[in-house]
Amino acid sequence: MHFPHLSPAGMPSGTSSEADPAPVTKDAFSAGQQLGTPGSDTPPRLVHPLVELKFNRTVFEELERRVERNGPWDDWQMYRLALEAEEANRVSDFHELQCTRLLPAFTPLPHQIETARKVMHEMRGRAILADEVGLGKTIEAGLVLKEYWVRGLVRKVLILVPASLVLQWVRELANKFDLPAVPQKKEYSWGSDIVVASMDTAKRDPHRQILLDNEFDMLIVDEAHKLKNKRTSNYKFINELRKKYCLLLTATPVQNDLSELYNLITLLKPGQLGAEGDFAANHVVDRRVPKNEAKLQESLGQVMIRNRRSDGGVEFTRRFVTNVPLHLSEEEMALYQGVTDYVRQHVKAESGDIASMLSMVTLQREVCSSRDAVFLTLVNLFKKTQEESPLRARIWELVELIRNIKSNTKGEKTIELLQAMGDEKAIIFTEYRQTQNYLLRFFNEHGIQAVPYRGGMNRGKKDWMMDLFRRRAQVMIATEAGGEGINLQFCRNIINFDLPWNPMRVEQRIGRVHRLGQKEDVNIYNLCTVGTIEEHIVHLLHEKINMFEMVIGELDEIVQRLDQEESWEHRLAKMVLEAADGEELRKRLDGLGDTLLEQRGKSKRGTKT
Amino acid sequence: MNVKQIQKFVLSYIEATGCQILEKSPNHITVKLSPDADRALTNRPFYWSFVDRCGVAPETMTYTWIFEKAPVPEAGIPSTPLTSLVTGGVRVAREEIYFGSRRLTQLFDAVRQAGRNVTMFEEPPRGHRDPLGSQPYTAWLGVNFKVGYECDMKREELYGWGISLATGVIDDKFYEGLKDKRLTPRLPANIHLLRNGLSLRKGLSQLENALERKIKTSDFGWAVEAENRRQEERNRINQYYGPLLERSTEDDEQKAVLQTRQKQREEEIDWQYRPRVAVSIVNCGIFHLPGID
Repeated sequence: MHFPHLSPAGMPSGTSSEADPAPVTKDAFSAGQQLGTPGSDTPPRLVHPLVELKFNRTVFEELERRVERNGPWDDWQMYRLALEAEEANRVSDFHELQCTRLLPAFTPLPHQIETARKVMHEMRGRAILADEVGLGKTIEAGLVLKEYWVRGLVRKVLILVPASLVLQWVRELANKFDLPAVPQKKEYSWGSDIVVASMDTAKRDPHRQILLDNEFDMLIVDEAHKLKNKRTSNYKFINELRKKYCLLLTATPVQNDLSELYNLITLLKPGQLGAEGDFAANHVVDRRVPKNEAKLQESLGQVMIRNRRSDGGVEFTRRFVTNVPLHLSEEEMALYQGVTDYVRQHVKAESGDIASMLSMVTLQREVCSSRDAVFLTLVNLFKKTQEESPLRARIWELVELIRNIKSNTKGEKTIELLQAMGDEKAIIFTEYRQTQNYLLRFFNEHGIQAVPYRGGMNRGKKDWMMDLFRRRAQVMIATEAGGEGINLQFCRNIINFDLPWNPMRVEQRIGRVHRLGQKEDVNIYNLCTVGTIEEHIVHLLHEKINMFEMVIGELDEIVQRLDQEESWEHRLAKMVLEAADGEELRKRLDGLGDTLLEQRGKSKRGTKT
Repeated sequence: MNVKQIQKFVLSYIEATGCQILEKSPNHITVKLSPDADRALTNRPFYWSFVDRCGVAPETMTYTWIFEKAPVPEAGIPSTPLTSLVTGGVRVAREEIYFGSRRLTQLFDAVRQAGRNVTMFEEPPRGHRDPLGSQPYTAWLGVNFKVGYECDMKREELYGWGISLATGVIDDKFYEGLKDKRLTPRLPANIHLLRNGLSLRKGLSQLENALERKIKTSDFGWAVEAENRRQEERNRINQYYGPLLERSTEDDEQKAVLQTRQKQREEEIDWQYRPRVAVSIVNCGIFHLPGID
């Protein structure tokens, strides 16, 4: 597969990479030898021991042809305008950012400009952009790209992003940066200068081979934490691609293990953190605890930029958090009690197995969301249980309890909330697909226009849903998977129909709405059923660690530190199951909250030094 | 380029291509494109091949180009009544033109395409002209060079030089000098052209050599810095791949993979950092000027 315009800008032809001093060409002053050289590029001459000079004669050769044929000649005014255009576009200076004066559509924030400058002048175009969520990594990448583009150092660009973000990237580059990016749709799309594609498409043949056969002046990978594992096909693919400048974007450069960071950096600059063995020896105590932190920070600083909200300079609107306490109806409470009893007994029966423990706790959480959510899980559990097992009867009793439930307390409360908002838009988050479906039906019955959004939708459908929400629907109902990468600044109300247990995921939800570009204060409503585990979780997140008002950067760090020993969710699940009663559970959760606050204190001190 | 300069540039283009101005204010212009401009700007190759083949009269596009957003007109004042009158209800595309906008970028490309090679004559001074005498004219090769100093960063310079094809004299302010002259594409009366001593090729070579000498005297600090960066980067990857290669002495396949990878990284580094100078020609032409030098 060949494309006519694939030769990247500035690639020295016939890369004489091995021989260090450039080949000495004939004496440049015996110019007669140049006569009759075919082609447009003269052979390189040496103007400095390090520097080759090449003349491109294309335009002159055309003059010769026209002289031979006696014309046709161009217009004198065009001739002058051509030079004027060239003068206007001339890059007069190595350093000054040119692109900022070319962006009338928006004004980048100071930290974004500073980041772009640093990426170009200090990191030389290979960097990890690791800003916290919502600070505009896309903008920073766009600035760098635009600057190289304006300078003519970059022509052929590949941007790899999750499928759901392809069109958003294209739009952003077009609207904000006036860059002619195209979404990859067919094989021929690869021939365009700036192509945005999903990683999953790109790494599959035939696309993969086309891309590997090419060279890219610039490669941008969004959500780059997906490249943390060296053995994955994603990683190998990116490693094999030929690229000049390269930007990796991720809000969470380290999720589990320091070696993830090492791998990410090796993609950009192999050896930046030393050879593989050295890194482990010099920087790692435990797989999550760094050694020689100062030195590690310094090496990292040469390839990675991380802006934090707490650094200031970025103004966010305020968040108002309201907990909406609800009392379950008698029937619902009966089901909750039934499930809770079942879970307790069951856990005693087969203690120790984490996976089944989690699924038990999930049952309890589902009851708090909707009967639809718990129904499916129960039915599946029933099918899995062996026929002679006495548990079967117990499960069936629970299913019977569901039958008695005629209404959903939370659903009704949500409608009240929506009506109170007037015609303002709201996004409702739930963890469960069944709840999502139920709400869609329920709202439909009540004449409220709602659209679904979930991870499993394909790119086009997601975009369509976003569009419907923006233009028509009052409500969007999203499941967790839909959280990543959607921007909904035009909406300022969030209803957490149920809460994830991991505060990071709660923050991700809020981040969809409360981000740069949000002009209004943001309202967050947490629906919380009294007398259930939900109440405890809301208490922990909201009252104890006050996460809704915390600066997000802190949260990343704190949860990561705590996660070092055991994942947050497991911890919570254990507590819920082991606690004898509500009293004890609350105590233990408070204990966890205290540890977290302690970590917060530590990390604060840590960032100051 | 500021707003004024952009406006002047666009107006010059409109004039040079023979477009028709329908409406004009300090902030905007409404223009019906000429066929030439339409071909260059509207990206309608199918439409134009249809016009060319069937010989129908072309219907060109009309644009309103806004240079600076005017303050919102006060209520009661109709915004653009004139345009719809003049264009007879034809759809007018409205676009903002600013430095960096796609339309202006396209205009830049269009003039680069349309203004590459010329042959011009200076008009002889008016007045005391001897009707029987004939003035000698010398042919000059005028070349506008663009010099790009590149490593992982880039800087550019422009040089409008000319060389007399009669004598080989080089004028490094040639293009500037042309600006004050009255030039015409037609051969004026009562002049005669001197014989060229140099071929065009030879002329160009000499210009290139002179430019090369000039470049050689420039400051190469940037190149030394870039080279240092390049070496640094190379050392870094050698540090990385060295131990890996040592360890894999037994596994030939593994070794080959690593070597390929290392070579690829080295090539990328060279591609990114190797300092180089690239000279291209923006445009060039033959200029017949009075005099014998």
